[in-house]
Amino acid sequence: MTVTELIALLPLMILALGATALLLLARGSVGRSWPLVVGALVALCAALSALLLPPCLMEVGGMYAAGPYARFFIALWSLATAATLISSSAYLTRRQLPSGEYTALLLFAAAGMGLLSSAVSLSGIFLALEAFTLVFYVLIAFNKDCPLGAEAGLKYLVPGGVAAGLLAFGMALLYAASGSLQLPAATAALLSGAPMQSVALAGMALLLAAFAFKLSLAPFHFWTPDVYQGAPAPVTGLLASGSKGAVIAALLTLTATLPAAPAIFEPVLITLALLSMVVGTLCALAQSNVKRMLAYSSVVHMGFVLTGLLCWNHTGRTAALFYLVGYSVITLGIFAVITSFSADKEPQQLSDYRGLARRQPLRALALTVLLLALAGLPPTVGFMGKLAIFSAALSAGYPLLAIIGILVSVVSIYFYLQPVIQMYMPSSSSAEAVEGHAGEYTVIALCLVLTLAFGLFPGPLLELIARLTP
Amino acid sequence: MIVPLNHILLVAAALFFMGLSCTLVRRNLVMILIGVEIMLNAAGLVLVAGSAFWQQLDGQLMVMLIMAVTAAEVAVALAMVVYLHGRTGTIDVNTFKDMQG
Repeated sequence: MTVTELIALLPLMILALGATALLLLARGSVGRSWPLVVGALVALCAALSALLLPPCLMEVGGMYAAGPYARFFIALWSLATAATLISSSAYLTRRQLPSGEYTALLLFAAAGMGLLSSAVSLSGIFLALEAFTLVFYVLIAFNKDCPLGAEAGLKYLVPGGVAAGLLAFGMALLYAASGSLQLPAATAALLSGAPMQSVALAGMALLLAAFAFKLSLAPFHFWTPDVYQGAPAPVTGLLASGSKGAVIAALLTLTATLPAAPAIFEPVLITLALLSMVVGTLCALAQSNVKRMLAYSSVVHMGFVLTGLLCWNHTGRTAALFYLVGYSVITLGIFAVITSFSADKEPQQLSDYRGLARRQPLRALALTVLLLALAGLPPTVGFMGKLAIFSAALSAGYPLLAIIGILVSVVSIYFYLQPVIQMYMPSSSSAEAVEGHAGEYTVIALCLVLTLAFGLFPGPLLELIARLTP
Repeated sequence: MIVPLNHILLVAAALFFMGLSCTLVRRNLVMILIGVEIMLNAAGLVLVAGSAFWQQLDGQLMVMLIMAVTAAEVAVALAMVVYLHGRTGTIDVNTFKDMQG
C-alpha cells in the first residue's frame, strides 16, 4: 500500500484509528461524557477531511473508491455518527453505560458504513458490510440492564449471520462465473450471452436476498421491529439511517454497473418494492409501540428507495439518493427526540406520549414536524423526496409502483399522527418533564432545520447528488 | 483443473443448503452459528474453485479474508451466546419471545 493510497483513505483512517485510540484510553469510563465529545470531534474531523481534501486517487486497491461519491457518503455517515454521539450523552449517563466503548464502537460502525458506501468490488462490499454488522451486534445489546436488549441482539445476530452466508455465497458464485471480484467485470457475467450466465444469476439472486435482509425489505423484514424495540434509542437511530443507507449506496453502485435490470430480476424487484410498501404500512397501522411503528415505517421507506433504484436510470438513482439523505436526517432527528424523552425508561407505548406537549413543548413540536416529514407532507424534505421518486417511477414506466406508493403515503399519515395526537392530548398523569440537554437540543434543531431547508430549497442538494450519482 | 468446475459448484451448493437449512431448522443458537459457518465455507469452496478455474489469485485471497471475518464474527456471536446463557440459562432461541406484534 502506497502513501497516496493511505491519503486517499484518510477519512476512514481517522475514524478507525480514533476508535482504536478511544478504546484504549477511555476504557471503562462509566458516566463520563468526554469520550463522546472526543468521538464526535473525531467524526467531524473525518467528515471535514472527506469534504475538503480533494481525492488524489479514484480507487484504492481495486476494492474501494475514493471519488466524490464515496467521499459524500463518508462525510454523511460521519456526521450522522457525530450527531448520534452528541445526543446520547445524557442517555448513557442515566443508564451508567460505559461511554468509551460506546464511542469506539460507533466510530468503527461509521468507518464500516463509509467503506461499504465506497465499495467498488464484491470483496469490498462483503468486508465492509461485516465490519459494521459485527459492531451493531454489540451495540444493540449494549444496555445489559434492559431485558429486551439481549433478545434484540439475538434477533439481529441470527438474520445477520444468514445474510452474511447468502452474501458470501452469492459473491463466490459471481466470481466463479466472471473471474473477477471487481464490479463492472463481475456483473458483466449477468448479461445475456455470457458463458456462465445461469451461475451468475443464481449468485445475484443470493446477493439481492442478502441486501434485502439488511434493508429489511418485505418479506425479509421480520427482524426489524424487535431489534428497533429492544435496541437503545440512539443506536436505533444510526441503525435506521446509516446502516441501511450504506447498503443502499452499495446497491446503487452495483445496479449502476448494469445497463438495464436483468429480465429475471425486474419482477422480483418490483415485488420486493410493492410488498415492502404494502406490508410495512399494514403492519405499522396495527402498532401501539412507537419504535415498532417506526420499524415498519422504515420497511415502507426502503420500498420507496428501491422504487427509485428500479427505474434503472440516472434520474431514478438521483431521486433514491435524495430520498435516502432526507430520510436519514429525519430519522436521526426523531430518534434524538425519543432519546431526549427517555428518563429511566424509553417512552415506547403511545400512552407514554400522552400530554408530552404540555411538559416539553419545543421537543414535542420538533417531533411533530419530523413525523409529518416522514409522512411526506410539504414543505419538508420527505415531500420533495417522494415527489422525486414517484415522478422518476412514472417517467420510467412503473405507474403501478407510483400509485401504490402515493396510496400508502396517504394511509401512513394515520399512524404518523397517532403519537402527535397523544402528545397534544391533556394528561392527568403527574409525570415529571425530562430535562433536555444542550447536545440533544443541538442535534434535534439541526435535523429540524435541515428537514425544512431541504424541503423548501431542494435545488442545491439535488444538483450535488445528481453530479455524484454514477 | 482436474475436477470440472460444475462438480465443485454442485458440492458447494449442497453444502450451502445444508448450512442454510441448519440455520432455519435448528433452534439451538450454537447449531445456528455452525450452520452459518457451513454456509461461509461453501462460499470459500466456490471461491477457491473459481480461483483455480480462472487461474488467478483473487478468489484465494478472498477466502483468507472470509476466514478472518468469520473468526471475528464467531468471537462476537459466542460472547452473545455466553451473555444470553447467563441471563436466561438457555440458548434455545424459541425462549426469546418477549417482543411480539
